This record gives sequence, C-alpha cells and structure tokens, in this order.
Amino acid sequence: MTSVAKQAPRKANRRPKWQKVSFGGYVGLVLMMIVSAFPFYWMFVVASNGSDAVSKIPPPLLPGPRFFTVIANVYKVVDFNVALLNTAIVGLCVAVAQVFFSALAGFAFAKLDFKGRRGLIVFVIGTMMLPSQLGIIPLYMMIANWHWVNTLYALIVPALVTAFGVFWMRQIIDAQIPNEMLEAASIDGAGVLRVYWSIVLPVIAQSGFVLGLFSFLASWNDFLWPNLVLQSPNMYTAQVAVNQLKANYVVDYALNLGGAFLATAPLLLLFVFVGRRLVSGVMDGAVKG
Amino acid sequence: MSHVVAGNSPAASEKGRPKGSPTPWRPKKQKKNKPAIPGLRSLNGKWGYLFIAPFVIMFLIFGLAPVTYSTYVAFFNWDPLGGQTFIGFDNFTYLLQDDVFWQSIGNTFDIWFWSTFPQMVLSIGLAAVLRNRFLKGKTFWRTVLLVPNITSVLAVAIIFGQLFGRDYGMVNYVLGWFGIPHIDFVEQALPGHIAIAAMITWRWFGYNALIFLASMLAIPDELYESASLDGAGSWKQFRYVTLPGIRNTITFVLIVGTIGGLQVFAEPLTLGGTTTGGDSHQFSTLTLYLYDQAFVAGHWGYGAAIGIMITIIVLIISGINFLLTRQIAGGDSE
Amino acid sequence: MKLKKIAAGIALAALTFGVGVTAPGAANATTKTITIWTFGDVIEPNLILEYKKIHPDIQLTIKKSDLAAMNGTDMVAACTSHTGPDIVAVEVSYSGKWRSYPRCFTDLKTMRTSAANADATNGTDKNGHAVKVSYVDATGKTVLVGTVPAGQSATTIKPNYLSWRWAQGVGHDGSVIGIPTDVGGLEVLYRTDLMVKAGLITAAQSKNGTGRDILGKSWPTWDKFIAQGQKYMSKLSAADKKKGVGFMDNAGAIFAAMLQQGTTKYYNDNGTDSGTIFGVNPKTKKKEPLYSWNPNIKAAWDTTIKATKAGIGTKTAQFSPDWPVGMNTGKFAAILAPAWMMDYVKQQAPLTSGKWDVADLPGGGGNQGGTQLGITSYSNMKQDAWDFLAWYLAPEQQLQVFRTYGLFPSTKSIYNDASVTGFVDPFFNNAPVGKIYSQGILKLKPIFEGELNPAIDLAFGGGLTRVAAGKMTSAKSWAQVMKDLATATRGAN
Repeated sequence: MTSVAKQAPRKANRRPKWQKVSFGGYVGLVLMMIVSAFPFYWMFVVASNGSDAVSKIPPPLLPGPRFFTVIANVYKVVDFNVALLNTAIVGLCVAVAQVFFSALAGFAFAKLDFKGRRGLIVFVIGTMMLPSQLGIIPLYMMIANWHWVNTLYALIVPALVTAFGVFWMRQIIDAQIPNEMLEAASIDGAGVLRVYWSIVLPVIAQSGFVLGLFSFLASWNDFLWPNLVLQSPNMYTAQVAVNQLKANYVVDYALNLGGAFLATAPLLLLFVFVGRRLVSGVMDGAVKG
Repeated sequence: MSHVVAGNSPAASEKGRPKGSPTPWRPKKQKKNKPAIPGLRSLNGKWGYLFIAPFVIMFLIFGLAPVTYSTYVAFFNWDPLGGQTFIGFDNFTYLLQDDVFWQSIGNTFDIWFWSTFPQMVLSIGLAAVLRNRFLKGKTFWRTVLLVPNITSVLAVAIIFGQLFGRDYGMVNYVLGWFGIPHIDFVEQALPGHIAIAAMITWRWFGYNALIFLASMLAIPDELYESASLDGAGSWKQFRYVTLPGIRNTITFVLIVGTIGGLQVFAEPLTLGGTTTGGDSHQFSTLTLYLYDQAFVAGHWGYGAAIGIMITIIVLIISGINFLLTRQIAGGDSE
Repeated sequence: MKLKKIAAGIALAALTFGVGVTAPGAANATTKTITIWTFGDVIEPNLILEYKKIHPDIQLTIKKSDLAAMNGTDMVAACTSHTGPDIVAVEVSYSGKWRSYPRCFTDLKTMRTSAANADATNGTDKNGHAVKVSYVDATGKTVLVGTVPAGQSATTIKPNYLSWRWAQGVGHDGSVIGIPTDVGGLEVLYRTDLMVKAGLITAAQSKNGTGRDILGKSWPTWDKFIAQGQKYMSKLSAADKKKGVGFMDNAGAIFAAMLQQGTTKYYNDNGTDSGTIFGVNPKTKKKEPLYSWNPNIKAAWDTTIKATKAGIGTKTAQFSPDWPVGMNTGKFAAILAPAWMMDYVKQQAPLTSGKWDVADLPGGGGNQGGTQLGITSYSNMKQDAWDFLAWYLAPEQQLQVFRTYGLFPSTKSIYNDASVTGFVDPFFNNAPVGKIYSQGILKLKPIFEGELNPAIDLAFGGGLTRVAAGKMTSAKSWAQVMKDLATATRGAN
C-alpha cells in the first residue's frame, strides 16, 4: 500500500534479534487454535452424528456418517440456497454503502473544516453507546409505514450508515493521510471532489476493505431485526433460516447445528480467501505506539 | 443491527497515531476556521456539509429517531398497545431505589472485570509469541485468531450452554481431572460471571491479540537491542520495552471493551435461559434487566429509563477514560 | 384450469424436495398468501402439504420465532403498526397477556367458514388427477382428511373443545381471539428399570404393565409422591448418592404442576377488564395481590420446598444441557412431562427405548403448555385464514398431529376415539399414552391466566431455586419473591 503510516513498522524491523519460538510457544498457539475453532468443529460433529450426540457421555469427538442426511433434512425445512443468496445480497449492499458513506463523512470530519464539526463528531461517538434494544419497535413502525416489511430494503436501508463506520474512517483518514499530501494536490489545482477521489480513496482502500468486511460479517450474523421484519422463506437470511429449524417446543440439535454449519461455512470459505487481507487490515487500524 | 459492530469491534484507531505521521490533524495549532486544506477555503464549508449529509440524514432517521422516541417513553407509564400516562421522573426515582438495578450494575462491572483483564493478559501473551520473526505459519495463526468472530451466534449459544453444564459439561469434565468438584455455573454468582466472561473472552481474545501484535510490531528493534546490551533477559525486555510500548493500545482496548462490556446481553441470556439472570439476579446485567423490564414485565417506560441510565454510565466512564488517557498520553509525549 | 393444477402439482413436488420455495408464489400471480407466525412445530408440515393439495391457490408461509421475542417485541410491533402476520400462534403462558389486547385479533365469533373445505375430494395428485385427499400416517395407514361444512363460526365449533382450554383463547371482552391447537397435559414419565431396582415395583409388574397403575395409585397426593421419592432415595447405593442421583429431575417442577390443578393462580377474573392481581385476603380482609395470600400458591410453595428438603430432586432444570444426558445415564427416574415432551425423550435418549413408562400425576391431572391460533385484526386474508384455521384445528386434523408429533388434541370430542384410547407407545413400555393423558386432561378446570404470568412464574421459580441451592431459607426467599413481584407487577390492576 502507498500508506505513509505503513512504512514505519517495516523500517523498524530492520535488524532481527529474536530467539526462536520455544516449544511452549507453539503449544500455546495450538491450544489457542483448538479453543478458537472448536465450536465450529463441534457443529460439524453434532450435525454428522445426530441429535443425541449432545447427550452422550463421553461426547463423540469424531464426525459421524449422517452429515448429508441432516443437510438434506435442513433443505426440506428451509431453502438455504435462497437464504444464503439473500444474506449475500444484503451483506454486499450494506458493506459497499457503509464504506462509501463512512469514507465520505469520515473524510469531512477528519480533513474538512466546517462549523459544528467538533460537536458533531462527539455526538456521533456518543450515539455508539446507546443500547439498541429499545429502538426496535419504533423502527418497525417506520418500516411498516413505508411498506417495507418482508423486503430486503428493511435490512439494507437502516444499515447503510453507522456511527462506528464514520468514526473508524475518520481515524483511518486522519492517521494515514498527512495534510501535506492534500495540500500538494490542491496547489496543483485539484478540487475537493478530485482530492477525495484520486488521493483519499486509493490510500484508504485497504482499511475500507476491512470495514466493508466487518459490516458484511455483522450483517451476516444479524438475527433479531431480520427475524422480525422478514416474513416469507423467499426473503429469509441465513440466520433467520437457522431459526426455522427449531422443532417441536424443543431443539433438534443436529438439524440446528447442521443449519448453523451451512450458515457459517460460506463465511469460512470467504475467510480463507480474504483472511490475509483482513488480518493486515485489522493491524492497520490498530493503535501504533 | 449495526450496533453489533459498534458495541464490540475494538478496531477503530483511537488516540495514538503512527509515529511516522508528520502533522497533527487536530487544528489545535491552527487558528479557528482555518481550513484543513489551504486553498480550498471557500469550498470547504459547503463540501463538508455535503459530504456528511448522507450520513447525517440516514442516521437521524434510522439511528436517532427510534432512540429519541425511547427517551420520550422513559417519562411515561407506557404500554405500546394500550394507554400512556405521563409520570415525569417517577421511573427514574423508582430506579434509584430498585435493588435489582443496583445489583445489575454491580454484576455488569464484575463481568466486565473478568472479561477484560484475563483477556488482556492472554491477548498480550499471544501477541508476544506471534510477533516472533522465526514463527512458522504466521498468516495461518493470525487467521485462526479471527475464527470465533465469524462463528454463527445462534450456534455459539447452544455450544457454550453445553460446555458449562453442571453435571456433564465439558468444562466440569476437564476440571474433574484436577480433582475439582463440579461447579454449578448457573446457580452460583462468581462462577456465573466467570462463565459469561469466558464466552466474551473467547469471542474477542484473538481479535485483541492482533491489535496488540500490530502495536508491538511498531516498537523499534533498536530499543530491544539496547536493552539486551544492558543485559536484560526476555522477561525484562518484555517488561521494560514491550509493555511501555503498547501502553496506549492497552488504554484503547480498555475503552472499547468498556463500551461493549456495559452492553453485555446475549451471554447472560444464554447461560441462564431466562431474562432474570439467574435465581437471585446474580448475573443479571444492565441491558438484560432493560430487556426483562421492557419486554417481559411490560414496563416499557421503565426499560427506557434503564436505557438512559446505561448511556449516562457509559458517558461517565468514557469521560474518566478520556481524562486518564490524556494524562497518560501527556506524560508520554516526547 | 387443468394446466394450472399441473403447475401447482409441479410446484408442490419441487417444494417437497426442498428447492424453490419461492416458486409457487412467484409463478402464480393469483396465489393468495397467508402468513403464520409460530414457534416449534405447532403447524405440522405434512398437514400443510395436504392443505396445499386441496387449495393450490393458497400459499401458507410459516415463520418460526422464539417465544419471548415473538410475544415481547414482534407481535407488539405488528399490532402497533397494523402490519404483520395473518395468523399467530400464542402459547398458553402468554394467553393472559393477549387476552388483555383483543383489539390485536379478529373476533372469531364473527367469522363464517366458506364452502372451501366442505368437500375434500377436490385435491389433485402429481398427474393432475382429482383425488380424495388422504394422509399416510406414521404407521403407514391411509387416513382421509376431515372436512369442515360452510357457515361455521367459533361459536359453532366450541363444543368440540375442552372448556378450560377454550377459555384461554377468549379475550376480556368476550371475543374469541384464539382456538386451541393442542393441550400439554401432565403425567409422570418414569424409568421402569430404576423403579424396579429401588423396589417401588417388581420386575414382573414392570413387564406386564401393572407397574404404572401401582405407582400411580401409590401417589394419589403430592405428599405421597414425596414419600415414594424418599423410599427411592433410601435404596440408592452410596456411590449413586455421591454422584447426585435422585428420584426426579427437578423438585421445583412440582410448583407449577400443583398450581395448575387449582382454579385460581395469580389473577382473579373480575369480568370487566383484563383480570386483576388483587383479591380480598380473607385473613386481613384487605385487598391484596393474590400472589401474597392465595392458599393455592402457598400450598404449592410449601410442598415444593418439602420435596426439595427431602432431597428427591437432582436440581437438573428441564431443557438445561444436563437434562437430556441425565435421561440417558439414569441420573433421575421420574419426569413430570406434558405429552409433547415424550417426543423429546425419544429423540434425546433413543437407547433407553422400552425402559420408560407413564403413570398418573399426583393430585389428579395437570397441564404444561399448549397453544392457540388466532387471526390478527389487521389481516387482509381473514376469510381464507379462518377457512384454514377451522380446518386445521378440526378434530380429524388434530388427531393426525397427535400421531405424528405427540401434540395432544384439545378437541375432547375425539378422546373416546379408538385411535386415542388405543394409542400405545413401545418406547414407553406400550403404555396406553392416549388414555392416560386424556383422563388427566379431563380432570382440569378453567384457570384464569393473567398478563404478567410469565414474569410472576419466573419470580417464584427463582425463589424455589434459591432455597434448593441453599442460598436462602424458605421464609427469606418467599419474602424476596414478594419484593421482586412488587416491582414486576407495579402499576398492574
């Protein structure tokens, strides 16, 4: 990346003076891996062994033979293909919009001077702290008023902007784009729009990608609100679909965790492809020093 | 909703800046009204409003309006399907005498404590290992750290319920190897808090480890070299070079963790299965109590009042945090 | 017309393979959609397929949510904004709440069924041929689907249903806001092998099925039940005792079971509004909340405490993660179980098949759970929704649900039907499950459910758990419950 900020650590690592990672260090990492990945693995184990896997002592730790039967049953209850597609559509729209609007507002808050800027940003940060549970009914009333119940608009439009995204982008732009860079451009005669388009956006592309990915993940895993506004199976998102697997007053664990597996596996795949960028992106956004 | 991100992602860059970044961005040294981009003065004001307009408009409609409505509700005896009576500050005065409310505050802070500090030690320790240049499979380890963040929340609830079972849960099974008698995580207060903290820690420790790692990578090697020339071993290097180097990051993780920690909701609900937070409210948190009062007991106005109190508490703590950070940053700078 | 039926047939076939759920709605512009909010399998999927055969033009869209969210926020939001489902499922514990808001529902007394389901011969098979609609049940038997004549209202179908269950679906203004689907019932499920081991019955009695009568007769009252539990405990080996093995899963379950056997709980029906939590305490002659003085509540509390102190429970809460494991390992020998719970036991402990049996509940009959279906006041599909509802909840259809899922019918008119009285379950040692449950259910009287029932139940449940955990004495915990309830019911009538 062209980020000025990124050059600092690279330079710092010039002369290695490290001891090799001890055996204990690797043991720690392996333990961490097991702890992190276990729930995901356990979904697969239960889904492939059947519901009573959870009530066996000792619990089975290896996958069983029933995985495809369970998945077929999942598809009998709810069409996961449609659900995954809906989730992807919502996630993509939300991610792109959040990055776009957050970068715009973030740039203004970080670099442009206008009256009330400081007050507004404090206000933005303040709203991050409000508990969201209480807003759910008034929000539904608005959505119903616009006849958006049981449409994907109901998920996408309220999520187009977040205070968090703006705050994040402001910090990124502030840290990664020195004023000199903008000054140089404006002396060359570039207008604000041009500066934004050809200087700001390329520099923050990496961090924007990470914000987009986080928005995508959050949207993917969102449950309470989609479950309220979506009514019919052709509109369900993945998490709502998982909830349709609850059987008779009680939980069929294999069916449920099989569905949860289906809802998580695409994310894991995505992760394999973009994990490296995500990891470097998280570290870009982190505090240095 | 989007607050999921806002409450929990400790990702945004905060107080500190990369050491290499040249000019301070805050117009402290600049005079008021001096545009950040010289030469575009005439445009800056207009453009600024234009740039934030989409965000502000959408945010007012979908973020602020519902919350404002709830604030209004706090001054009423409110039944969304029935009548509404204005009662002034009654909800708030009742709240101050409500034992469960105070208990929930205590629980929230206790859980916050148990979910913050052990996690921090764990994350910093992991980061210290991951930082090693001779570590094999760096990207793999760093990626694995984030797997808890993508695991379906509904599934995690089922799985953690099983892990913490009293008789047959895996946690007690493992504790049994060391001769520790079975613990009832749902019945006892402290074990309950620790179980909830464990769920939070599990979800975020890898994430925070990456943030600490980034911070550690920014510490110049020269510092370590001179330390080792002075005869400092790896512990002393860690203690006197690494820790001071990541001080600001520790503050940052604390602040974000506090905002998220005061809104803990899903974990205690998962553990107890009901909104009461255990038989004696021993792990009822503020947000859980809000939910319990508003949606189970039907006291909407009261729930809204709890919501306002949560906001006030977060603001106070953030204020304290901010002052502390300023102090630390001030003492730190050059 | 024929083409349309073929199209519907194909869509239906596609549906059964789990692809293209959207197809029927998308392909057929004249399709009418009825949206149903429910939980669990209150709406039985196979019957829905049957209904689609009879009515290719009706699309039934079923959405499941969790009870607390559905009643706490979702249905409130829907009613406030007049946008939402056509049909909602209300679980019994929330019936008191919705009874207070009849304006969210259509008064089903005012609805009349059309001729849509008067004749069941208008179904279509995969090839488009008209067939009599039938249903193949779990045993492979073909059953004809029941019909509903035109012109039926809630008033005309009322006699089919249990009166106390029917009452739970009546709004405070007398409007009928819900028709009962199933009834929980409550009996004792027990492990025959463990009862034999403890000497409560003999192996021969367990085998020939007389054991269940002997046990049922040995505990006509809750006190006797506790005594039997103590006997069971005294026969346990030291090792078992150390492992925390007990007679029943959770002694706390006795409280709710006993309360349901009375005629008043937390509310009085004062006829005019949504009920009142107040009543005149005969001791003080003052108007005080029922929860503080109702002798039924105090008796249930004291008996539960007695059972707890006798140590007959293992403190394993129902639906906690340890519970299904305990069914497998024999940690407890008895469960107080509604009919729908039998399916759960089968699913979670398949290896214990044949080792279970069913005995009468002490104190005579009981209930836990059950659901009613209502039509929302803001529905645009009221006529089609009522046609479906009247059909779905008709006795014949409830019988099918009972056979597939063990949900016990709320239509008392079929309790004497051979398929109920003769229903035996090999998993439960061939116990006449249908007979035992229906007898218990018929013993119950109407009991008034109030708006805050779920919250009040939680407070008492917490109080009993505190005593069981040894955190508080019974008196102190009771005082704490009173304090919690003062907060919870603040402002209630």
